[in-house]
Amino acid sequence: MAHPQVTMHGGHAAALEPSPFGMSSKKLVMWLFITADAATFGAILFGYGFLRAAAPDWPRPFEFSPTILNGLVMTFVLLTSSLTMLQAVAASGRDDRPGTARWMGVTILLGALFAFLHLREWFKMFAEGWGLHANPTGGPVDFGASFFSITGLHLLHVISGLVALAVVAILFRRGRLTPNHIETTGLYWHFVDLVWMFVFPLVYLMNAH
Amino acid sequence: MTSDGTTREPGTKFYLMVWGALLLIVALEVFLTYQGLSHGALLAWLLVLAVVEAAIALGYFMHMRFERRLLFWSTIPYLLMCFLILNHIWRDAARVITMPVQSP
Repeated sequence: MAHPQVTMHGGHAAALEPSPFGMSSKKLVMWLFITADAATFGAILFGYGFLRAAAPDWPRPFEFSPTILNGLVMTFVLLTSSLTMLQAVAASGRDDRPGTARWMGVTILLGALFAFLHLREWFKMFAEGWGLHANPTGGPVDFGASFFSITGLHLLHVISGLVALAVVAILFRRGRLTPNHIETTGLYWHFVDLVWMFVFPLVYLMNAH
Repeated sequence: MTSDGTTREPGTKFYLMVWGALLLIVALEVFLTYQGLSHGALLAWLLVLAVVEAAIALGYFMHMRFERRLLFWSTIPYLLMCFLILNHIWRDAARVITMPVQSP
Protein backbone atom coordinates (compact mmCIF):
# COMPACT_ATOMS: atom_id res chain seq x y z
CA MET A 1 0.00 0.00 0.00
CA ALA A 2 1.41 3.40 -0.95
CA HIS A 3 2.44 5.80 1.80
CA PRO A 4 -0.09 8.69 1.81
CA GLN A 5 2.55 11.37 2.41
CA VAL A 6 4.51 10.30 -0.63
CA THR A 7 1.60 9.74 -2.99
CA MET A 8 -0.52 12.75 -2.04
CA HIS A 9 2.09 15.41 -1.45
CA GLY A 10 5.03 14.25 -3.53
CA GLY A 11 8.66 14.96 -2.80
CA HIS A 12 8.42 13.51 0.69
CA ALA A 13 10.53 10.48 -0.02
CA ALA A 14 13.24 12.13 2.10
CA ALA A 15 10.96 11.69 5.13
CA LEU A 16 11.39 7.94 4.68
CA GLU A 17 15.18 7.95 4.37
CA PRO A 18 17.86 8.97 6.85
CA SER A 19 20.20 11.76 5.72
CA PRO A 20 23.44 10.31 4.30
CA PHE A 21 25.25 13.20 6.04
CA GLY A 22 23.81 12.24 9.42
CA MET A 23 22.51 15.75 10.07
CA SER A 24 19.37 17.84 9.71
CA SER A 25 18.59 19.61 6.43
CA LYS A 26 19.10 23.06 7.95
CA LYS A 27 22.58 22.14 9.16
CA LEU A 28 23.50 20.68 5.77
CA VAL A 29 22.24 23.80 4.01
CA MET A 30 24.36 25.93 6.35
CA TRP A 31 27.43 23.86 5.39
CA LEU A 32 26.61 24.33 1.72
CA PHE A 33 26.17 28.07 2.22
CA ILE A 34 29.50 28.22 4.07
CA THR A 35 31.21 26.39 1.20
CA ALA A 36 29.83 28.86 -1.35
CA ASP A 37 30.70 31.85 0.83
CA ALA A 38 34.22 30.51 1.30
CA ALA A 39 34.56 30.42 -2.49
CA THR A 40 33.40 34.05 -2.61
CA PHE A 41 35.94 35.18 -0.04
CA GLY A 42 38.62 33.12 -1.76
CA ALA A 43 37.86 34.81 -5.06
CA ILE A 44 37.95 38.29 -3.53
CA LEU A 45 41.28 37.52 -1.84
CA PHE A 46 42.68 36.21 -5.12
CA GLY A 47 41.48 39.42 -6.77
CA TYR A 48 43.32 41.42 -4.14
CA GLY A 49 46.41 39.30 -4.75
CA PHE A 50 46.19 39.98 -8.48
CA LEU A 51 45.91 43.75 -7.98
CA ARG A 52 48.84 43.67 -5.60
CA ALA A 53 51.04 41.50 -7.81
CA ALA A 54 50.32 43.73 -10.81
CA ALA A 55 51.18 46.98 -8.99
CA PRO A 56 54.87 47.95 -8.85
CA ASP A 57 54.36 50.46 -6.03
CA TRP A 58 51.89 48.78 -3.69
CA PRO A 59 51.87 50.64 -0.35
CA ARG A 60 52.54 48.94 2.96
CA PRO A 61 51.17 51.56 5.36
CA PHE A 62 50.24 49.56 8.46
CA GLU A 63 52.41 50.38 11.45
CA PHE A 64 52.68 47.87 14.30
CA SER A 65 51.05 50.42 16.58
CA PRO A 66 48.20 51.02 16.31
CA THR A 67 47.10 49.04 13.25
CA ILE A 68 48.67 45.60 13.67
CA LEU A 69 48.14 45.76 17.43
CA ASN A 70 44.48 46.60 16.85
CA GLY A 71 44.28 43.69 14.41
CA LEU A 72 45.77 41.38 17.05
CA VAL A 73 43.17 42.48 19.59
CA MET A 74 40.42 41.97 17.01
CA THR A 75 41.72 38.47 16.26
CA PHE A 76 41.81 37.62 19.97
CA VAL A 77 38.25 38.91 20.43
CA LEU A 78 36.92 36.93 17.47
CA LEU A 79 38.69 33.70 18.46
CA THR A 80 37.33 34.07 22.00
CA SER A 81 33.84 34.63 20.62
CA SER A 82 34.13 31.29 18.81
CA LEU A 83 35.04 29.67 22.13
CA THR A 84 32.02 31.20 23.88
CA MET A 85 29.82 30.07 20.98
CA LEU A 86 31.06 26.52 21.56
CA GLN A 87 29.99 26.87 25.20
CA ALA A 88 26.56 28.02 24.02
CA VAL A 89 26.24 24.95 21.79
CA ALA A 90 27.31 22.68 24.67
CA ALA A 91 24.77 24.34 26.99
CA SER A 92 22.01 23.91 24.39
CA GLY A 93 22.90 20.21 24.18
CA ARG A 94 22.21 19.95 27.94
CA ASP A 95 18.93 21.85 27.35
CA ASP A 96 20.23 24.61 29.62
CA ARG A 97 18.30 27.44 27.98
CA PRO A 98 19.33 30.27 30.35
CA GLY A 99 22.97 29.15 30.08
CA THR A 100 22.79 29.02 26.30
CA ALA A 101 21.33 32.52 26.14
CA ARG A 102 24.07 33.81 28.49
CA TRP A 103 26.89 32.32 26.41
CA MET A 104 25.33 33.62 23.22
CA GLY A 105 25.03 37.02 24.87
CA VAL A 106 28.76 36.97 25.60
CA THR A 107 29.43 35.92 21.99
CA ILE A 108 27.32 38.82 20.74
CA LEU A 109 29.15 41.27 22.99
CA LEU A 110 32.52 40.06 21.74
CA GLY A 111 31.32 40.25 18.14
CA ALA A 112 30.07 43.78 18.72
CA LEU A 113 33.45 44.70 20.21
CA PHE A 114 35.14 43.33 17.08
CA ALA A 115 32.85 45.40 14.86
CA PHE A 116 33.49 48.52 16.98
CA LEU A 117 37.29 48.10 16.79
CA HIS A 118 37.03 47.55 13.06
CA LEU A 119 34.88 50.60 12.42
CA ARG A 120 37.14 52.71 14.62
CA GLU A 121 40.07 51.67 12.46
CA TRP A 122 38.14 52.45 9.30
CA PHE A 123 37.30 55.97 10.44
CA LYS A 124 40.90 56.55 11.43
CA MET A 125 41.95 55.55 7.91
CA PHE A 126 39.29 57.80 6.37
CA ALA A 127 40.67 60.68 8.44
CA GLU A 128 44.16 59.95 7.08
CA GLY A 129 42.84 60.22 3.52
CA TRP A 130 42.33 56.56 2.64
CA GLY A 131 39.19 55.62 0.77
CA LEU A 132 37.75 53.28 -1.83
CA HIS A 133 39.36 55.44 -4.52
CA ALA A 134 41.86 57.41 -2.48
CA ASN A 135 45.46 56.81 -1.48
CA PRO A 136 47.09 59.63 0.51
CA THR A 137 50.59 58.28 -0.27
CA GLY A 138 50.01 58.87 -3.98
CA GLY A 139 50.29 55.19 -4.88
CA PRO A 140 47.66 52.91 -6.45
CA VAL A 141 44.10 53.51 -5.26
CA ASP A 142 43.53 49.76 -5.57
CA PHE A 143 44.87 49.44 -2.04
CA GLY A 144 41.88 51.24 -0.56
CA ALA A 145 39.47 49.53 -2.94
CA SER A 146 40.68 46.07 -2.01
CA PHE A 147 41.17 46.74 1.71
CA PHE A 148 37.76 48.28 2.32
CA SER A 149 35.99 45.76 0.06
CA ILE A 150 37.48 42.72 1.75
CA THR A 151 37.18 43.98 5.31
CA GLY A 152 33.78 45.49 4.52
CA LEU A 153 32.42 42.18 3.24
CA HIS A 154 33.75 40.47 6.35
CA LEU A 155 32.26 43.16 8.60
CA LEU A 156 28.91 42.71 6.86
CA HIS A 157 29.07 39.01 7.73
CA VAL A 158 29.94 39.87 11.33
CA ILE A 159 27.04 42.30 11.72
CA SER A 160 24.50 40.00 10.11
CA GLY A 161 25.85 37.20 12.27
CA LEU A 162 25.28 39.31 15.38
CA VAL A 163 21.67 39.88 14.35
CA ALA A 164 21.16 36.17 13.69
CA LEU A 165 22.76 35.23 17.02
CA ALA A 166 20.51 37.66 18.90
CA VAL A 167 17.33 36.41 17.23
CA VAL A 168 18.23 32.75 17.72
CA ALA A 169 19.26 33.32 21.36
CA ILE A 170 15.97 35.06 22.19
CA LEU A 171 13.81 32.48 20.44
CA PHE A 172 15.73 29.56 21.97
CA ARG A 173 15.36 31.06 25.43
CA ARG A 174 11.61 31.27 24.85
CA GLY A 175 11.55 27.59 23.92
CA ARG A 176 10.69 28.12 20.26
CA LEU A 177 13.93 26.73 18.80
CA THR A 178 15.95 23.54 19.27
CA PRO A 179 19.64 22.93 20.04
CA ASN A 180 20.05 22.18 16.35
CA HIS A 181 19.31 25.85 15.61
CA ILE A 182 22.04 26.93 18.03
CA GLU A 183 24.55 24.58 16.46
CA THR A 184 23.65 25.70 12.93
CA THR A 185 23.99 29.38 13.83
CA GLY A 186 27.24 28.57 15.59
CA LEU A 187 28.58 27.10 12.36
CA TYR A 188 28.06 30.44 10.63
CA TRP A 189 29.80 32.30 13.43
CA HIS A 190 32.83 29.99 13.34
CA PHE A 191 32.99 30.50 9.58
CA VAL A 192 33.19 34.29 10.10
CA ASP A 193 36.13 33.62 12.43
CA LEU A 194 37.72 31.27 9.88
CA VAL A 195 37.60 33.92 7.16
CA TRP A 196 39.36 36.38 9.48
CA MET A 197 42.20 33.85 9.83
CA PHE A 198 42.99 34.58 6.18
CA VAL A 199 42.08 38.27 6.09
CA PHE A 200 44.35 39.26 9.00
CA PRO A 201 47.60 37.79 7.63
CA LEU A 202 46.97 38.50 3.94
CA VAL A 203 45.49 41.99 4.22
CA TYR A 204 47.04 43.32 7.43
CA LEU A 205 50.34 41.52 7.99
CA MET A 206 51.34 41.50 4.31
CA ASN A 207 50.83 45.29 4.30
CA ALA A 208 52.73 45.89 7.52
CA HIS A 209 55.26 48.68 7.31
CA MET B 1 32.07 6.50 16.90
CA THR B 2 28.35 6.95 17.64
CA SER B 3 25.55 4.94 16.02
CA ASP B 4 24.91 7.59 13.35
CA GLY B 5 28.54 7.45 12.16
CA THR B 6 29.76 10.56 13.99
CA THR B 7 32.45 10.74 16.68
CA ARG B 8 31.87 11.93 20.25
CA GLU B 9 33.04 15.48 20.84
CA PRO B 10 35.67 16.50 23.39
CA GLY B 11 34.99 18.84 26.34
CA THR B 12 35.73 22.42 27.37
CA LYS B 13 39.34 21.76 28.39
CA PHE B 14 40.17 20.48 24.91
CA TYR B 15 38.50 23.46 23.24
CA LEU B 16 40.51 25.79 25.48
CA MET B 17 43.68 24.08 24.24
CA VAL B 18 42.54 24.49 20.62
CA TRP B 19 41.82 28.18 21.29
CA GLY B 20 45.28 28.57 22.81
CA ALA B 21 46.89 26.85 19.83
CA LEU B 22 45.13 29.21 17.43
CA LEU B 23 46.31 32.24 19.40
CA LEU B 24 49.88 30.87 19.31
CA ILE B 25 49.68 30.52 15.53
CA VAL B 26 48.51 34.14 15.25
CA ALA B 27 51.41 35.24 17.48
CA LEU B 28 53.80 33.28 15.24
CA GLU B 29 52.38 35.01 12.16
CA VAL B 30 53.00 38.43 13.69
CA PHE B 31 56.49 37.37 14.79
CA LEU B 32 57.40 36.22 11.29
CA THR B 33 56.10 39.47 9.80
CA TYR B 34 58.86 41.40 11.55
CA GLN B 35 61.75 39.02 10.84
CA GLY B 36 62.83 40.70 7.62
CA LEU B 37 61.76 37.81 5.40
CA SER B 38 61.44 38.33 1.67
CA HIS B 39 57.99 39.11 0.36
CA GLY B 40 57.53 35.66 -1.16
CA ALA B 41 58.81 33.82 1.90
CA LEU B 42 56.54 35.78 4.23
CA LEU B 43 53.54 35.14 1.99
CA ALA B 44 54.30 31.41 1.89
CA TRP B 45 54.65 31.19 5.66
CA LEU B 46 51.50 33.19 6.34
CA LEU B 47 49.50 31.10 3.89
CA VAL B 48 50.69 27.83 5.41
CA LEU B 49 49.92 29.03 8.94
CA ALA B 50 46.51 30.38 7.87
CA VAL B 51 45.63 27.03 6.29
CA VAL B 52 46.69 25.20 9.47
CA GLU B 53 44.56 27.59 11.55
CA ALA B 54 41.62 27.11 9.20
CA ALA B 55 41.96 23.33 9.34
CA ILE B 56 41.97 23.40 13.15
CA ALA B 57 38.95 25.74 13.27
CA LEU B 58 37.12 23.71 10.64
CA GLY B 59 37.85 20.39 12.32
CA TYR B 60 37.24 21.32 15.94
CA PHE B 61 35.28 24.56 16.23
CA MET B 62 33.02 23.70 13.30
CA HIS B 63 33.03 20.03 14.30
CA MET B 64 33.84 18.66 10.86
CA ARG B 65 36.22 16.26 12.58
CA PHE B 66 33.21 14.71 14.31
CA GLU B 67 30.86 14.59 11.33
CA ARG B 68 30.62 11.91 8.68
CA ARG B 69 33.41 11.83 6.10
CA LEU B 70 30.84 12.43 3.35
CA LEU B 71 30.52 16.05 4.52
CA PHE B 72 34.25 16.65 4.06
CA TRP B 73 34.39 14.98 0.64
CA SER B 74 31.27 16.83 -0.54
CA THR B 75 32.58 20.32 0.28
CA ILE B 76 36.35 20.64 0.65
CA PRO B 77 37.62 19.14 -2.64
CA TYR B 78 35.28 21.47 -4.55
CA LEU B 79 36.68 24.48 -2.74
CA LEU B 80 40.27 23.39 -3.28
CA MET B 81 39.54 22.90 -6.99
CA CYS B 82 38.14 26.48 -7.17
CA PHE B 83 41.25 27.90 -5.53
CA LEU B 84 43.50 25.82 -7.76
CA ILE B 85 41.83 27.17 -10.89
CA LEU B 86 42.06 30.75 -9.60
CA ASN B 87 45.84 30.43 -9.62
CA HIS B 88 45.74 30.92 -13.38
CA ILE B 89 45.55 34.69 -12.83
CA TRP B 90 49.16 35.09 -11.70
CA ARG B 91 50.66 34.96 -15.19
CA ASP B 92 48.48 37.88 -16.20
CA ALA B 93 49.57 39.82 -13.13
CA ALA B 94 53.18 39.30 -14.16
CA ARG B 95 52.32 40.46 -17.68
CA VAL B 96 50.52 43.57 -16.43
CA ILE B 97 53.35 44.64 -14.14
CA THR B 98 55.84 44.54 -17.02
CA MET B 99 53.58 46.37 -19.49
CA PRO B 100 55.15 49.61 -20.71
CA VAL B 101 53.26 52.72 -19.66
CA GLN B 102 52.20 54.70 -22.70
CA SER B 103 52.51 58.46 -22.52
CA PRO B 104 49.22 60.34 -23.14
